[in-house]
Amino acid sequence: MRGVAALLVAVVVALLLRSTALSALAARGVVLDVLAFATVLWALRYGETWGSSLGFALGLAADLDAAHWLGRHALVLTLIGYAVGRLSHTLVRESSRTHLALFAIATLVHQLWSAAFDIGGIAGVPYLLQRVVLAVVATAPLGTLLVALLRRVGGQPLFSHASIESGPTS
Amino acid sequence: MGGFLPPAERRSSVLLGLYAALSLLLLVTGERLPQAWLRGVGAGIFAPLDRIVLTADRMGAAWHENQRLHQRIAELELETTRLESARIENERLRQQLGLMTSRRLTLKPVEVLALSGEPVPASATLSAGHKQGIEMGDAVVTREGLLGRIAEVYPNLSRVILLTDPNAAIACEIESTGVLGVLHFSGTPHPRLVLTDVALADTVRIGQRVVSSGLSRRYPRFLPVGTVRSLERDPSGLTQTIEVTPAAPLSRLRHAFVVPRPHPLEDAP
Repeated sequence: MRGVAALLVAVVVALLLRSTALSALAARGVVLDVLAFATVLWALRYGETWGSSLGFALGLAADLDAAHWLGRHALVLTLIGYAVGRLSHTLVRESSRTHLALFAIATLVHQLWSAAFDIGGIAGVPYLLQRVVLAVVATAPLGTLLVALLRRVGGQPLFSHASIESGPTS
Repeated sequence: MGGFLPPAERRSSVLLGLYAALSLLLLVTGERLPQAWLRGVGAGIFAPLDRIVLTADRMGAAWHENQRLHQRIAELELETTRLESARIENERLRQQLGLMTSRRLTLKPVEVLALSGEPVPASATLSAGHKQGIEMGDAVVTREGLLGRIAEVYPNLSRVILLTDPNAAIACEIESTGVLGVLHFSGTPHPRLVLTDVALADTVRIGQRVVSSGLSRRYPRFLPVGTVRSLERDPSGLTQTIEVTPAAPLSRLRHAFVVPRPHPLEDAP
């Protein structure tokens, strides 16, 4: 049950950030993809089961908030959570390069998928592509920096205790 | 966390399949679900948390805002004195000419709890709802100008569709010349507000103010909407499209005011 509670807290924190501080930044063109960031972080730490669970919960809540296309974020974040969780068994999870690459790829996939639904709708293709690139450029380095900061503040590795199957057992 | 699910890889694959199937099902059938009701529940859950998060941000800004507002109040009091005499004179003259007199707007202050929508905010959650007298269709403004209109009302919350919603259309006019047009949100070539259906023969200049015309009767007349940013000729050669910079800061909203819809029998210009 601790796992479910932690998952709910992560979902709420990510959504609150997204609907308050980050939405103001996004309107100015600085897109920080907190959904992709949280999903990658969670999947790296707890594996594919919890990665996909957080991705689905986070995506579903974001879909309800956006009022269009239920399931849009949920599907892609579920897949990202699962893929990163699977990769976490073989990758060097404490490496900043790994974080940078995973944040960049996850943001790219999430933003491209989301943008595909907006083509022909509220925004033109050049703008959407520009937005995707900006999101990757902003989210990946900042996410990596934040993880490094968390590790420094915590004084211990963030991912070393994750179990192969479904996360820590304590 | 391992206690929640048996530690088997098969389980994670089954979960993945379940989540993916659910997501796909929602993508296909989502429009049939009562989304407004679901969003209402979500807004109810998140509203207290949004308030907590925003409190810290707003306390810092409140000090500077307070100083600015003191100065602004002093300026506006002087301006009000001047305008009041002009209003009395205007009403007297309109009565003599047999014209309708304008309705004074009542404003209900509300707090903006959250913004949603991509790539730019298209809707916002407000801190007042049905119990506070908010109704569907009420206009929402900030001190700078028009924000949008109420689209969903819950007991203690409401949702406002902003000018940037793709489905919003507002009858507007250029303040100084009375040139009419319809304001839309357009995504091409980049997200922007445009005033369409303006005859090419009408003279419009960059920097002129755009206000609501009241012709659609959805919004009161003379609410500031924005200023003319640029002009472009339509391919037909008969009309022009005018890009408008919104008056209200849509990316940074804290407080707003709800303007009740005019009663059908009221004289509203």
